Amino acid sequence: MEPDQVTIEAITRWGGIVLPNKAARIGLADNAALIAELEALRGTMGFEEEPSGFDAALRDCKEPSR
Amino acid sequence: MNAPVAADLAFLSMTEAADAFAAGEVTATALAEACLARIAAQDGVVNSVIRLDSGAALEAAAAADAARRAGRRLGKLAGVPMMHKDMYYRAGKVSSCGSRIRRDFRPAATATVLERLDAAGAVDMGTLNMAEFAQNPTGHNRHFGDCHNPWSPAYCTGGSSSGSGAGVAARFFYAALGSDTGGSIRLPATLCGVTGLKPTQTRVSRAGVMPLSFSCDNVGPLVRTARDAARFLAVTAGQDPRDPTSAREAVPDYEAALTGDIRGMRIAVCETWFLEGADAPVVAAFEAALDALRARGAVVTRIAVPSLRAINAYTALVSRVEGAAIHANWMREHPGDYAIHLSARLYGGYAFPAHLYVEALSRRGSLLRQFVTEALTGHDLVATPTLRTRVPTLAETDIDADPANWSRFMAVSANTRPFNYLGLPAISVPCGFDDRGLPIGLQLAGRPFAEATVLRAADAFQQETGWHRKAPAL
Repeated sequence: MEPDQVTIEAITRWGGIVLPNKAARIGLADNAALIAELEALRGTMGFEEEPSGFDAALRDCKEPSR
Repeated sequence: MNAPVAADLAFLSMTEAADAFAAGEVTATALAEACLARIAAQDGVVNSVIRLDSGAALEAAAAADAARRAGRRLGKLAGVPMMHKDMYYRAGKVSSCGSRIRRDFRPAATATVLERLDAAGAVDMGTLNMAEFAQNPTGHNRHFGDCHNPWSPAYCTGGSSSGSGAGVAARFFYAALGSDTGGSIRLPATLCGVTGLKPTQTRVSRAGVMPLSFSCDNVGPLVRTARDAARFLAVTAGQDPRDPTSAREAVPDYEAALTGDIRGMRIAVCETWFLEGADAPVVAAFEAALDALRARGAVVTRIAVPSLRAINAYTALVSRVEGAAIHANWMREHPGDYAIHLSARLYGGYAFPAHLYVEALSRRGSLLRQFVTEALTGHDLVATPTLRTRVPTLAETDIDADPANWSRFMAVSANTRPFNYLGLPAISVPCGFDDRGLPIGLQLAGRPFAEATVLRAADAFQQETGWHRKAPAL
């Protein structure tokens, strides 16, 4: 899929970064696969409303004491 | 024990070299000379080295020999020659990060992990080739030349710690630091046939280490054995005041866990994701590896892990957005100084909506809990092939030469990335060879801070199989 010119222009406008080469168009088009993955997850995922620190999860998920 | 003869010295494992030095069976100078001779003879093919500090290495080795003769207390890695990925800062020394942009960058402070290795007596011989800014999984480098697989030079080494994997495999040194944001330790370990450990997120300090993704970067070793990894981790792990994200967890005696006994250990094989589209030789080697674990008494079960789909989507989001942010100024001011494959990859990261990145971070803790519930409740470890395919060639993954190679390039890290988002410890150990003589790797991942369990299983596997003892015939 050819990436939307609007996206290229938005990247330039927001960050001052211009399309660096032809391969970058493929890199941008490759986002379509991730967009499809996220689309498939819609309704099942979302912002985590409750406090849920990653560091706390690391500690909580340690091996049970033997 | 008889003293090892000089020709054999480079083929010792890290712990064998350290123990032989501590026992007075070999000098540090002899170890360094054996490594330097291998590099001089063979690195023209492999291209693993960026900066070789021969003189400084021999001086440090002579100092270690003098310290032992004087009866001074020796560190756990005393006298052992190492080299490290060129993104670990040493004050005043160039740290190129594999790039043109930082070709002359001289940091003011030394990385904590290097200070800990220095304190343990390791002999630093210089710095190693790597993917530019640690941003590719193959080992291509346009500025310092591609790194070549010592088993067959037309093939990828894996990246981004390409020189670390290739050099340990080629017996140029006994251990090397890599870094792992999506598989950059485990991939070169599997493609080059060595052992690579990505510790738990926050386990090892990142102070003085080039960042790639603040959330997913890890520091760890490439070595020849699980025992080597255990000793290396014991020296480098632990809380660091210079890295406020480093964990306060106590550092256990990892080597004491290497009992060889994995009777009753429960190992899960995820039927989703990790084996999808896997090449037949990889599947065969992986199944044989599971048989070897069963032979030592482990119990292997097949499970489904529904959370993997979300984990993979969020993994890609987090690492690419953070990479894009870190490189924004250079992408604006020096885009032509990047290799094509890198600027192309970074560019896509500027298109992700901010709300999805925030969502991906907000869900990280709960997805870790969900994964642990699905995969590691009732199991000690998850086993996967480290790489689903046979080792690709440098040509067929070269985006600079042909952008159509994009999908093959991106697929290399499919099995390693999820454990970075989850922050879990994971090791890759050699588990066989394909029909072209290229290595295949087994990945074992455990709960947070369960490195001792991961290492115990990997060590038992290596006692059972011996794949890790194979060396390429350069």
